[in-house]
Amino acid sequence: MSRKLTVLSMTLVFLLALGLIAPVAAQDSTTVRYFTFSAAPDYLEELDEIIAGFEADNAGITIEVETAPFADYFTLLQSGIASGDAPDVFELNYENFVTYAANDTLLDVGSMVNAEAPYYPRALEAFTYDGKQLALPESFSDVLMFYNADLFDQAGIEYPTADWTWDDAIAAATAIKALGDDTWGLFSPVQFWEFYKKAAQNGECKFFNDDMTESTINSPACVETLELMTGFQTSGLMPTAADLSGVSDSELFLSGKLGMIVTGIWMFGAFADAPFNWDVQLEPMINQHAHHFFANGVAVSATTEVPEAAAKWAEYLTSSETVAKVRVAAGWELPALDEPAYFEDYLKQTPPANRAAVFTALESPVTPPVIVRQSEMQDAVNALLTQVVDGELTAQAALDQAKTEIDALIQ
Amino acid sequence: MNHSNAVAGTMQSTKHGEGIVVSHNGFTSIARALLMIVIVALMVLPFLWMLSTSLKEQQYILKTTPELIPNPLTFTSYTQLADRIDLGRTFFNSLFVALVGTVGQILVAAMAAYAFSRLEWRGRNTVFMLYLATMMVPAVVLVVPQFILIRQLDWVNTYQALIVPGLFSAFGTFLLRQALLTIPKDFEEAAFVDGANHFTIFWRIILPLSRPALATLAVFSFMGYWNNYLYPLFVARKESVATLPIALATLQAGPRALTEWNIVMAGAVITVLPILVAYLLAQRWFVRGVISSGIKG
Amino acid sequence: MFLAPSLIGLLVFIVYPIIASLWLAFQDWNMLSAPKFIGLANFQELLQDQDFWRALRYTLTFVVLYVPSVFVIGLGLALLLNQKVRGMIIVRTSTFLPVVASWVVVSLIWKWIFNPSYGLINYGLALLGIQGPDWLFQPQTALYAMVITSIWKDVGYIALLYLGGLQSISETYYEAAQIDGAGRWRSFRSITLPLLSPTMFFVAITLLINYFQLFEQVWLMPMTDSAADRQLRVIVTEVVRNAFSYNRMGYASALSWVLFILIFIITFVQFRLQKRWVYYESQ
Repeated sequence: MSRKLTVLSMTLVFLLALGLIAPVAAQDSTTVRYFTFSAAPDYLEELDEIIAGFEADNAGITIEVETAPFADYFTLLQSGIASGDAPDVFELNYENFVTYAANDTLLDVGSMVNAEAPYYPRALEAFTYDGKQLALPESFSDVLMFYNADLFDQAGIEYPTADWTWDDAIAAATAIKALGDDTWGLFSPVQFWEFYKKAAQNGECKFFNDDMTESTINSPACVETLELMTGFQTSGLMPTAADLSGVSDSELFLSGKLGMIVTGIWMFGAFADAPFNWDVQLEPMINQHAHHFFANGVAVSATTEVPEAAAKWAEYLTSSETVAKVRVAAGWELPALDEPAYFEDYLKQTPPANRAAVFTALESPVTPPVIVRQSEMQDAVNALLTQVVDGELTAQAALDQAKTEIDALIQ
Repeated sequence: MNHSNAVAGTMQSTKHGEGIVVSHNGFTSIARALLMIVIVALMVLPFLWMLSTSLKEQQYILKTTPELIPNPLTFTSYTQLADRIDLGRTFFNSLFVALVGTVGQILVAAMAAYAFSRLEWRGRNTVFMLYLATMMVPAVVLVVPQFILIRQLDWVNTYQALIVPGLFSAFGTFLLRQALLTIPKDFEEAAFVDGANHFTIFWRIILPLSRPALATLAVFSFMGYWNNYLYPLFVARKESVATLPIALATLQAGPRALTEWNIVMAGAVITVLPILVAYLLAQRWFVRGVISSGIKG
Repeated sequence: MFLAPSLIGLLVFIVYPIIASLWLAFQDWNMLSAPKFIGLANFQELLQDQDFWRALRYTLTFVVLYVPSVFVIGLGLALLLNQKVRGMIIVRTSTFLPVVASWVVVSLIWKWIFNPSYGLINYGLALLGIQGPDWLFQPQTALYAMVITSIWKDVGYIALLYLGGLQSISETYYEAAQIDGAGRWRSFRSITLPLLSPTMFFVAITLLINYFQLFEQVWLMPMTDSAADRQLRVIVTEVVRNAFSYNRMGYASALSWVLFILIFIITFVQFRLQKRWVYYESQ
């Protein structure tokens, strides 16, 4: 019995000792909690590389990573903030930035960041709110038109050029569609994202008036734009969801049965092994060019207890050379930095050959019209758009309805 | 509506196979046999189709003329499934949660049922009314506050979140109370005379006597935990704790999943097989439980 | 005390959330800033919200299509199962298989079966010379598909409930009827139905309470980005959507309470009406 007692007491002492030492050891280093959606599941190794680089340059700071899939990310982030347990640094995409900024959950990092850091000015600006720098641009991607060169050859038509209008594209699509029953001309989905981009291409269609107090989505210019979009499907050039029957548009393209598809540069990797020749080009215009510009940013929590360390990490994660190299090499989105040297390697990879288009497109970027009740607006518009495609509503009627609903959301 | 005695009686002596004896004249027999075959086929065919799809190779799935027997037959979708989701972990999670939850739920409910049926105390009926009242509230009313509560307890993505809230089902207490009410008092009185306390009586006498009811509750409880979707969807999605229905749903939501039906179906097979097997083995208890809960009304 | 774990657990995980939910229904809360008391504003908004009425309409349509169907089919099945015939136990077992499978699995299997181009249903229809509809792509047909799936899944359970009721009808009634010369249909109408009515009542209540809370089928079955996906809504999906996609916790809670009240009223009406048609032996 006494032996047991001795062992027990020694274990207790040992544990106590550990308990005392551990916090002391921990105090020598600051921990920064970083929450991300873009790193998992494909880029965790790359993130580790970046962290290693940061910790080497910043002794005493440890980065602790938490991940979540995109679909759950914002719910988890929000409930974390609500319960007072917000991560120190977290990712935000552009669409959600406004909500977080408006609710005072982000720290103003403007003064803590190196003024010489080579961010794209336009990207930096995108993450300001009320004059304050509330997040740093982390990465960007844009959307281009991809085309199947072999199908173009088969139909005997010219490849798309940078000055194409949608009329040119429709003509080409018609020629390609004629090649066979199961071949389709083009794919440009009828949904919220595409709609505001086409609206920008039109130039006169604006979703909101200048001071964002009223929606102008039902203007004649917008109706015209919507009719152009739905026309792709009603004229048989583009498959409907039922035509696809569950096959995704990318897979249709990969199977060689789609002439042109408007999708993001993140598909370069997925299309790399396509069994046909393909390339990219600027998206056709209506009256002017407009391309989707998607950006992710990194923000520091307003309630963080380690603001300097957190800001350092945020800055490193978004603008250091290590990060740029790792991202470009892995194809993990492009850093929003104005340093051509970083992108040389990127430009040399093929396919596609015309990678320069990725950067040309940046000259005509369009960002989504963002309001606080963003998801509701998107869902409302998307539901109405399907009704136009199905012929239940005319474009004008649908947009009138959309205006009523959106006006209610911006009260 | 005073059928609790009928419940008790039925719980202890449901006769199976009892039914109406029918004529065996030629035409009716044949028609009936045909009907029986059709019904069995309708019920089983979708499951077979699921199995068949899971054993097909990718390029053979999207055929406009469906084939029931896969040719060639392959298990690749299962290996691909294991690549997409941590199959072993998820399966373990489901099993762990279901087993612990079931045992826990039975214990908690049995103890409460004991208190409601064998012990006399003031306010007993009022508190029982409270239990009944909670059974009437739709599950969706609880989703938001339970999620916030779990967040506040810092239980998001933990096993506790999946197991604990389900432990306190009023349904289980209700079911067991009904069963315990039927046990005559004599058993206890004899034990008391022998100097036993409540706990001993509970453990050694009452529980063994109520085995059928316990088995029935076990079956419902296991099924509930195994199949639960809405609640875990928001509380435990991280792979380390996700259960099979959640993993399956995220699988089918992925970008390529809409054409990789073989992988999705493989996931479905794995999710449904254990519960089907459990049902086939424990049929008696399922049927008994459903029938008796129905008669109560 | 024996009751302690159960009661404490119930209070913490069920009673407290119920009360919290009621409190939340009167707040405006997006989880990023503090909740704001707004009185009845959520309920007022609800009554004018097109999405709510649409969700209600779809829920009611579903209930109207599904409940009578499964009610009758279940009874028919139970009558069949009640016959003492060899092999009947196989039938009974097979009808219960869909019941124990989870809705996630069932939704996915039937989603595949209802695929317009590659699924079994349209293939079968094509054999009969009929062009199958786009099932889970359009809201209306998606609703039908879900009703069919739900009937398939639940009929075994419903039949079993009836079976219990059928088997508790004493043989003496039937014997007496036979002596009096009553035919099968007559004895069904005058003996079986009335004596089965308590069970039927229970079934009706159970079905209504469960199906107003319809969720998994509607959440999982429509094809992504289709018209069905964008337009088909029922009340519980709206609660979930408002809570977790739009982050309107207060509004979501208000919605769930409206559902509760709806179910409560319907159940109450049922209980009142039972005097008219439910026959209890003990009376």
